[in-house]
Amino acid sequence: MSEVATQIKVPPVPAGLEREPLVNNNRSFGWISDRVSLITEGKTPKWWWAAFVPSIILLGLLGAMLFYQINTGVGVWGNHHPTMWGWDIINFVWWIGIGHAGTLISAILFLLRQRWRTAVNRAAEAMTIFAVMCAGIYPAMHVGRVWFDWWLFPIPTYQGLWPQFRSPLMWDVFAVSTYFTVSLLFWYVGLIPDLAMMRDRAKTKIKQFFYGLFALGWTGSNRHWSNYEKAYLILAGLSTPLVLSVHSIVSLDFAVSQLPGWHTTIFPPYFVAGAVFSGFGMVLTLLIPLRSMCHLEDIITMRHIDVMCKVTLATGCIVSYAYIMEFIIAWYSGSAMEKFHFMNRALGPMWWGWVMMMGCNMVVPQLFWFKKIRRNLVVVFILSIFVNIGMWFERFVIVVVGLYREFLPSSWDYYKPTWVDICTYLGTFGLFFTLFLLFMRFLPMIAVSEVKGVTPQADPHHPAAGGNGGHH
Amino acid sequence: MKTIPPTDTTPNTGRYYWRGLEQLAETPEFKQFLEREFPENAGDFSDPVSRRHFVKIMSASFAFAGIGLGATGCRRPEDKLMPFGKAPEKYVHGTAQSYATAMLRRGGAIPLVAKSYEGRPIKLEGNPLFPDGNGGSDRFVQAAILDLYDPDRAMRFKKSGTAVSASEAFDFLSGVANKFAANQGAGLAFLGERTSSASRRRLHQEIARKLPQAKWYLYDAIDADIHTRAATKAFGRSVKPIFRCDVADTILSLDCDFIGEEEDAANNIRRFTSRRKIETPKDQMNRLYAVESLFTLTGMNADHRLRVSSSAVLQVAAAIAAELGVNVGTLASSGGASLDQKWISECAKDLRASGGKALVVAGFRQPLAVHLLVAAINEKLGAIGKTVELIEAPEPISADLAQLAASLNKGEVDTLVIVDANPVYNAPADLNWTATQRKAKTVIRLGYYEDETGAAADWHFPKAHFLESWNDGRTSDGTLVPVQPLIAPLFDGLTDLEFLARVAGLSEINPYKIVQATFAAVTGDRSEAGWNRFLHDGFARGTGARKASVSWSSGSLREALAAATSAPASKDNLEVVLFRDLKLDDGRNANNGWLQELPDPITKLVWDNAILVSRKTARELGVQNNDVVEISVGDKKVIGPIWTQPGMADYTLGIALGYGRTKTGRVGIGTGFDAYPLFNTKTGYVVTGAKVAKLAGKKYPLSCTQTHWSMEGRSIVREANLEQFKSHPDFATRMNAPVPPNPDPNDPHWPKPIYPNPLDNPKYRSSMHQWGMAIDLNSCVGCGTCVVACQAENNIPIVGKDLVARGREMHWMRIDRYYSADPKKRTWGLSTKTETFKRDEEQQFDEWIDDVQAVNQPMLCQHCEAAPCESVCPVNATVHDHEGLNVMVYNRCVGTRYCSNNCPYKVRRYNYLDYNKRPLKELKGPFYTPPFLHSTDGEWDLKRWWRDHESGMRTQDEWDLIKMLKNPDVTVRMRGVMEKCTFCVQRIESAKIAQKVKAGESGDVVVPDGTIKTACEQACPAGAIVFGNVADPESRVSKLKAQQRNYSVLDFLETKPRTTYLARVRNPNPAMPDYTEAPFTFEEFAKNNGDPFAHHGGDQTGKAESTTGKGGH
Repeated sequence: MSEVATQIKVPPVPAGLEREPLVNNNRSFGWISDRVSLITEGKTPKWWWAAFVPSIILLGLLGAMLFYQINTGVGVWGNHHPTMWGWDIINFVWWIGIGHAGTLISAILFLLRQRWRTAVNRAAEAMTIFAVMCAGIYPAMHVGRVWFDWWLFPIPTYQGLWPQFRSPLMWDVFAVSTYFTVSLLFWYVGLIPDLAMMRDRAKTKIKQFFYGLFALGWTGSNRHWSNYEKAYLILAGLSTPLVLSVHSIVSLDFAVSQLPGWHTTIFPPYFVAGAVFSGFGMVLTLLIPLRSMCHLEDIITMRHIDVMCKVTLATGCIVSYAYIMEFIIAWYSGSAMEKFHFMNRALGPMWWGWVMMMGCNMVVPQLFWFKKIRRNLVVVFILSIFVNIGMWFERFVIVVVGLYREFLPSSWDYYKPTWVDICTYLGTFGLFFTLFLLFMRFLPMIAVSEVKGVTPQADPHHPAAGGNGGHH
Repeated sequence: MKTIPPTDTTPNTGRYYWRGLEQLAETPEFKQFLEREFPENAGDFSDPVSRRHFVKIMSASFAFAGIGLGATGCRRPEDKLMPFGKAPEKYVHGTAQSYATAMLRRGGAIPLVAKSYEGRPIKLEGNPLFPDGNGGSDRFVQAAILDLYDPDRAMRFKKSGTAVSASEAFDFLSGVANKFAANQGAGLAFLGERTSSASRRRLHQEIARKLPQAKWYLYDAIDADIHTRAATKAFGRSVKPIFRCDVADTILSLDCDFIGEEEDAANNIRRFTSRRKIETPKDQMNRLYAVESLFTLTGMNADHRLRVSSSAVLQVAAAIAAELGVNVGTLASSGGASLDQKWISECAKDLRASGGKALVVAGFRQPLAVHLLVAAINEKLGAIGKTVELIEAPEPISADLAQLAASLNKGEVDTLVIVDANPVYNAPADLNWTATQRKAKTVIRLGYYEDETGAAADWHFPKAHFLESWNDGRTSDGTLVPVQPLIAPLFDGLTDLEFLARVAGLSEINPYKIVQATFAAVTGDRSEAGWNRFLHDGFARGTGARKASVSWSSGSLREALAAATSAPASKDNLEVVLFRDLKLDDGRNANNGWLQELPDPITKLVWDNAILVSRKTARELGVQNNDVVEISVGDKKVIGPIWTQPGMADYTLGIALGYGRTKTGRVGIGTGFDAYPLFNTKTGYVVTGAKVAKLAGKKYPLSCTQTHWSMEGRSIVREANLEQFKSHPDFATRMNAPVPPNPDPNDPHWPKPIYPNPLDNPKYRSSMHQWGMAIDLNSCVGCGTCVVACQAENNIPIVGKDLVARGREMHWMRIDRYYSADPKKRTWGLSTKTETFKRDEEQQFDEWIDDVQAVNQPMLCQHCEAAPCESVCPVNATVHDHEGLNVMVYNRCVGTRYCSNNCPYKVRRYNYLDYNKRPLKELKGPFYTPPFLHSTDGEWDLKRWWRDHESGMRTQDEWDLIKMLKNPDVTVRMRGVMEKCTFCVQRIESAKIAQKVKAGESGDVVVPDGTIKTACEQACPAGAIVFGNVADPESRVSKLKAQQRNYSVLDFLETKPRTTYLARVRNPNPAMPDYTEAPFTFEEFAKNNGDPFAHHGGDQTGKAESTTGKGGH
């Protein structure tokens, strides 16, 4: 084959334009496999236990809180008249928003040929799936009669009763469940080559069996790779509209109503941007400690952090634009109720929620314009937490501030959560981190095969690839 | 002859409270009833004995259909239910029956119709046949049914606190009777409450004949009798004044809340509002001036209001009297500069200008001198006989509590018999009653609750509810009305008639016979037909008191004025005004959960009373809402929380009586604080010289159902002055929001609602009935009767104080109350640093709340045609029917609560918890403390729960009792389900079915107008709510909706509500100093939205027409 191939002379890249490598220190394939596998194959680190035990306790707390709430009634939460939705829907939207980054990274960036995604997509997708699980708890459990949740699904019964397809809550059911299913599939398909690697490295029968079972007999043959890549591409194509649709539809929960501050056509794009913003915030929050704990600095490099900061900055600007535009539209609409609502956001008794939202989502991301800040891990970590907080407050402002003072002042009432609200929310962190810690301990946290694909030596023309171009 | 099932031989272990029925089931009459094919005389009620027993048997057998045939009865769960072999005549199973009865009140009996299902009374309504009434009632009537099934009511005969058998108790009574028969009643004293019962009065006289040495005393903590005493004094004969607010053109109230606190308020509301229902701008309406210290319902509805302390009312009365030419001596000038002289003189001028059609009234808490001044003013105005009707009142035959105390202290009382009265709780503090009462050797009490007095008595007898007893009464105008039982006493209770007859050892102790004899004595009609008509109609025609022809004498006035002194309250001389609570009365309704949870019509507080103060007073005392303070007057002290009330007179501390009960049922314990320690015989209800000390760091949480006071310039309640109404009759529709320009001039449906209107489609509007409601804001006074009526009709649970604080109250209907002030005095609107955006808790510091106007608005499901709630429900649980009702399918609701979020009127209610099954202790707290932090009675809550999950829950017996109250036509909702007003769909459906049956072949199935009355409409004493068929242009509701005052709330949302409101019209006097050209709400609106009268109304009118055109009538 080498005879056929024509030697092409590639001029060297000028010094200033040279791209930072995606894997630092010119690591080899073997090193990458070893490094990633070490997390699952090595001795359980102490920090893992230190994180896992509190997580599992919080998970228990979630169970206890949900048991208490289902047993006693939604009244154990702070929801009241007129604020019929409180922390339940805030946290639902917050978690769903977080669940946006993973699929965006793996699907949209894949289609856009953003090769840097490989280092973070596996963990981000896992984060997505677990976040959607946390989110799903809320709509399922916040209803008054949980045992009738199945009425929201279009199940043909002898009564001929159907759900009402005009209701955005109905659309939510479809949007979230579809998103979860496709994300899970996408994640699993991407895992197959790495599961095969784990199987091949496994030293115990049990591991061999389970990794083998889920690796679906992967051998790495060309036919497998060919099918795999096609499937992956199709799933990426399927997931891409879902990334946009799920939060658009969640936003319709509000936009379809007629409340001032809710009934807004800007919501779908604004919610998607906000979701990506919060998703990247959460990815940064998770990966910055993980890369040092698991010694993945060469795989998740400063370049990755830098790029993610830029995405956060971009989406943060979109969100800020939306915040300002909402005010302008309220003024332009001439609607007294709209005007009142937005003034009340900023000046009313819950002004602090609005200040938190504007501060964290509009002001804080502006710091990412500075390369120095983007390259400072501690600062980025702190700022990413601010992004998470800010996005929580954005949902607080929409849900609670939208409801507590609306048309009839006689119904105005201040909203306060109860300890059950707070403990349930903490409990969802328990669920999230328990699942995430289990994931990183038992599955390859980095998409090994894909990272290898973006190393220089994977390039058939690279000298380190042995010069036998064409092997692909 | 039907087969009688064998007698059940199982041991007689039924629940104790069915003993009454057990005994009944053993009577020969009942056995005969079982054997006969038709019960004796069941059809024609001609024999009084069998009539009575028929009613008893109705109660016994229909309620628990199996027990009668089991012949031992009383064991419902175990017994086999058997159908009637032969139903009694005219009895249709499952159909409600109505009986005329009455509720006795201190101001006079209220004629009622009680609705009964299967022998269970479940709802009370005013008697629509009664000529001086409209079928309306009041809060107390509506809530009375709850007391009947109160598991905490007295149900045992008790001797020194231990239960004894009924026979032992009756033996004791005959012993008492024998003892006093021997000495003509020497040492025997009776203490009762004021009642209008004619039989009681007759019995009283009979006892006086038999036991001439026995003494009678009357005590009522709320002394409404002062009107009669004052009139008697002024006119020299025993007469009672009746205020004809329906005749009066101009009314001046001197600290007289005649539509709230005063007796006979329901009648006063009806009469007062009859002159405010204007149809066209040409109509005249009355004008109300109020001079008062507290902000009352009367003040809320007044056209002019002068806030002065209660102690200064005497001076105002004197000044007005002087203006009108009454000689008041030196008192006229004593008020000095502190009073608004112009207000007073202009008011007096207006009164004089009304000719004889002016009315001045004084409140019961004012001293006799004020009442006598008022009599003089009315005399001077020529009002006597026109707006003040004087009717003959029976001479008082009892002495008062102070005299009883004196007699007790002298040791003259051997046996004290207390009927109803609760002096240990509510006697004036200076009588030191608990100790004084003990000076009697034996205290015997008949009471509905084992309350404070009951606990201090040697013997306690359970009293029967008025729906369990025979009695009679006189209405406020003296008409004789029967009190008929609808159910046999559930707990062996005695009526007061039987009890008194037994104590005195009279030969006739059967209350039925006593009442019948009274009827014969009063009417002279001894025929069965007359008696039956009396029971059927619920009143005896022509028994009203005669009008008295009397003449006023100035002597009494001079005497009273000479003794009168008055000093207005000031910073150093704080005044405490003790007022009758609009819910608990003098404390007797403390265990009634409906009344406890009914928002106070003024403060909107529930489950508590508070120390009401004005903003200025609060600031000068350095206190704010929820601060706990100690009020001391002399050596008497009261501790309670502060609540800033707009419109209060400065330096007045208003405290509702009736709270802080130490012994009552489990519902009433621990609510509010007791203000009776400040009440004494000398100063009465207005106590001056109070000192206030703040208890540092102590806060008491109060629950309030409406935290925001201002309407913020929105056109929710629309009002104008009469002059404005005359110049712009369409003012209400002019306040509609401007309509955006129509992009398609051919589109008849512009502006478009967000949500589809199914009733735009003629297919869905095809039904002959299209239901709608109109509420006249000009006649609604905000009394809250409709709220309780709705609660009773629709099985609405109470939620308790802590959940109201959480905004979880369940009332389907609420009365929104907004305060408005001169917008110039407010910093508000959409700019920064305005009051609008403050926390609601900070309203109490705003200066604008000093002089406010208030408006009320009953708010219930508006039954929007384009309903926002419907399209967001994911399971189709709330849908529209073809008659325009927005119906709620409880069975289908999963409880996502989206419908409520999207409801702009916020009228949907959600069962956050299983309110029908909540532990009693949760009614009052703890305030959402986590059980792992909180402990009760020194034990950790979580541990308590672990030990006993059912702790604090009612027993099954109690649930069974409470279940009897439920309206069987309305589902009892479980937790997790949304609920709301249905326009009483159960009443609609039953009327439609009845009409279909009646129509038969004729096919005339349209329900005639007025047949269906929703519970709120039926209860409303003002007749402000009208429900009916808007498809019929001749119906009352269509005619109201056709009026120019008609508008829909939040019109701009285009939800097309079927409930519309008629805008309010105020009638201020342009000469008054506090006159403004427009009501404050109007000015607020104009400031926010521009003057609605400024622009010419071409498109406005067009809009109004198109709106009304599509509004469904």
